[in-house]
Parts: sequence; C-alpha cells; structure tokens
Amino acid sequence: MIAILKRMFKTAWQGMKRNNWLSLACIVMMTLSLLIFSSILIFNHATNTLINTLKGKMDISIYFKTDVPEEDILKIRDELLSNETIAKINYVSREEALKAFEERSKYNPTIQKALDELGENPLAASLNIKAKKTEDYNTIIESVKNSSFKDKLITVDLAENQKVVSRVDALARAVKIGSLFAISILACLSFIIGFNTIRMAIYSLKEEVEIMKLVGASNWFIRGPFLLEGALQGFIASISATIIFSLLLLAFGGRIENFVPGIGLSVYFWSHFWFIFFLQTAFGIFLGIISSFWALNHYLKI
Amino acid sequence: MSLVYFKNVSKSYNGSLILDNVTFTVETGEFVSIVGRSGVGKTTLLRMLIREELPTKGKIYFNDKEINRLKPQEVSLLRRKIGVVFQDFKLLPNKTAFENVAFAMEVAGYSEETVKKDVPEVLKLVNLQNKADNFPYQLSAGEKQRTVIARALIQRPELILADEPTGNLDPINSWDIIKLLVKINELGTAVMLASHDKEIVNTLGKRVISLEDGKIIRDEQEGRYLI
Repeated sequence: MIAILKRMFKTAWQGMKRNNWLSLACIVMMTLSLLIFSSILIFNHATNTLINTLKGKMDISIYFKTDVPEEDILKIRDELLSNETIAKINYVSREEALKAFEERSKYNPTIQKALDELGENPLAASLNIKAKKTEDYNTIIESVKNSSFKDKLITVDLAENQKVVSRVDALARAVKIGSLFAISILACLSFIIGFNTIRMAIYSLKEEVEIMKLVGASNWFIRGPFLLEGALQGFIASISATIIFSLLLLAFGGRIENFVPGIGLSVYFWSHFWFIFFLQTAFGIFLGIISSFWALNHYLKI
Repeated sequence: MSLVYFKNVSKSYNGSLILDNVTFTVETGEFVSIVGRSGVGKTTLLRMLIREELPTKGKIYFNDKEINRLKPQEVSLLRRKIGVVFQDFKLLPNKTAFENVAFAMEVAGYSEETVKKDVPEVLKLVNLQNKADNFPYQLSAGEKQRTVIARALIQRPELILADEPTGNLDPINSWDIIKLLVKINELGTAVMLASHDKEIVNTLGKRVISLEDGKIIRDEQEGRYLI
C-alpha cells in the first residue's frame, strides 16, 4: 500500500513538473476560481454585516404626552418588558431629551432662540424599544396602539416607525435575496472555471491515458496520480489565492473601510484566516479531484 | 488448446464489413504474418485481440478464455499478457525510455527493486542501454520502436502483436526490428505480425495468413505474400 502511494505521489509530482506549462495554467485558473470562492465568503459576511447594522439601528420610540408623570412611564416600561418579543427598553426623560436636543442644535441659533422664547421644555419623554427580531416590530407597534396606556401617547410617531420598519425589512430581504443570487452565480462561475480548465488539461493528455490502458493499466492505476495531481494543484492554488487575497486586503482594506464604515472586511478576514483558508483549500482539492475524475472517466472506456 | 482462436469473427463499421467470418488459430510459440492491402482489416484483427475493439459477430479466445466476455479488470490482465508493438509507437511522451518500459511493470504491480533490475536488462536486449534517460522526442524512429518492443517484452508475454512495426522505419531499422521479433519468437513467445511489406514477409519464411476483402484467402506454413 505504501509502495503504491509512493509511486502515485512520484507519478503525480513528475506529471506536474514535466507538463509544467499545463500545470501552471491549471493552477492560475484554479487560483482565480478560489479567489471568487473567497470573495463569496467575504461578500456573504459584508451583506450580513450590512443587514445587522440596519437592524441594529432600528428601534421604536414611543413618546408620552408632557403631562404624564415619570412614575407612570416607568410602570408602562416594566409592563412592556414582560413582552417576550422585546429585547430592551430605554427610558429617555424630558430633561434628557432636551439636553440631547440642545447638544444637537447648539450651532443653530434660531432653534436656540426659539427654545429660550418658549421658556419651558417642549419635548416629550420617550421609551426606545428594541425588539429581538425585526419582524416583531409591527406586532409591538400594534400592541402599543391597542394598549391601556394608548391615551397617554403621542401616537403619530408609531405610524412613521411602521413605515421605516417595513422599509428596513424589505431592504434586508432584498439584500439577502440579491446576495444569495450573486453567491450562486459566483459559486457556479468558480466551479465552471476550475472544472473546465482541468478537463481541458486532461483532454490534452487523453492519448497518454489511452496508451496506459492499452499497456494493461487498471482504471484506478491511471486515475490515482491524476486525482492526486488535481488535489495538489488545488492546494497550491489555495495558497496562491490566500497570498493574493491577503495582499489585496493589506493594500485596499483601509480604503474599503473608509468607503463603507463598519464593514470590517480586514478584521473579518484576519480573525477567520484559518477558517477561510481551510474552506478554500477543501474547495480547491474537491474541485481538482472531482474535475479530474469526471474528465478521465470519458477516456478510460477503451 | 490453441493460444489464439478466432471463431467465425466478423467486424463491420457503420454497415461496411471489414472482416467477414474469419476463423483461424495460433499456437504457442508460433510466428504468424497477417498480410493484405491497407484497410483489409489486419489492424482491426489485432485490436480485437486486446479488446480495443469488439467483434460484430463471432468469438475470440485467448488461452481458452473468450475475450468478448471479459470483465474490465480481466481486460487489464489480458493486455499484460499480450505485448503490443504499434506502428505509431504509442510511447508516453513525458516519460523516458526507462520509465516507459518500467510503466508496463508498474501496472502489473512489480516492486521497485524488480523494476530497477529488469528494465536495464531488457533495454540492453534491444540495444538501448545508452538511451534509457532519453524522452521519446529525443529518440529516432528505430529507437522508439525498440523501446516499444522492450515495453512489450518486459512482462514476458505469451504473445506479441506487431502492427506494421516497420511502417515508419527505413530499411536498415526495419530489418533490425524484424530480427528482434524473430529472436523473441525463438525464445518461445508467439508473434503475430501484421504487415504489407512483401520483402519482409517472404524473407521470413514463416506461416502467412493472407486477407482480401475481409476474408482469409490463404493460410500457409512457410507461406509467401502473393497478393
């Protein structure tokens, strides 16, 4: 068994060395194919980050009439917290709201003047509600609308929020479907490039395969080194793709981060380096083996 | 028990009949020339013996085993028992002369030590000991054909099929190859030589099977090429 494996490795290595241009072409095309594969992983992460950022920024603010006392609002908050769909509720008092508003409009003298002329705090206290899932926002809004404390609320904002909620949900869904579509296309493209390159390489060696058959080689004796060669090419292509990807991220990672803040491509790539490398190598080796196997079968029939 | 037995074998391609009801036997250690014009079916006949082709009708036996009924693994074993010398050499281009000969041993599962011991001996037999490390493109046509003979010989086959082995060679190299085949035959291996070279066949003075229009028209011991 060890002798057979040794012979297989020797033949595969010799095949790669002696058909060096063909092997190089295969490795280059497979590297391209694996770069697409890794881009899919990164792209998937980017879309997930985008959706999570959108979802994270979403909440419902319910504003209370100015004459509702703080204790009542806190009671309502506690009551709402018993709702299982709600993750977190943040109470913003009238004073805190005013402070934040003043801070935001400190460079706007007109607003400052208007506030001074009013003489009292016109802002309402509010509860900022974060749901566990985005799809729960509508239910929460409905339950607030029909609650016992609905008369204490300024209800206009609820309707506005409802629009935002459904827009974000639609956007998240569109991004998910779009990315799934792009991922499928890219995955197919990556597979087709790798598969056809190896098929063409084996096509050019079909006469050799036929000779081996005529000399009495069994199908597995012929297949073994070719499959191993495919796997080796996949492995080398994976290392090349990783080096290229790392260099690209080192060169452009900062710029991408400036363009889409919070996307964290570099952070994701380096923190998942071995995971990406493992998946990419597994895909490369799988591609090399399956393509060689498929392409060879055709010529092993004589 | 004959080594080879063709029993009422016919072969047609796309409706055109190449071999028509051919019957003959070849005994162990025999030297048989199959002669006839180009396209008469000599190559087809040899290709059916290594099951590169299947007959349309009839049966072919090698050592009493019906070739048509062999399983794929048995076909590999059959091809190891029959050495083939092709007109177009069929050498593996990315392997040296040594490696081409060694390959035939490796497929049969011989150990590395046996390969290293036997291959130089066979290369010496065909006078190629100094070209062992040359790739096919670095060999002359005659040297290529001698490498092919070495490859065919290395597994000590019971039968060697030589399909127009001198077709691509000059007269001097042609005679070298024929002498080599005769020498192999004298050592006990049966040889089936397909040729349309009158001079070679007539000089050999061995059994001749003549084909015309897909049929055997003559089968004579110490025969001649008379077409």
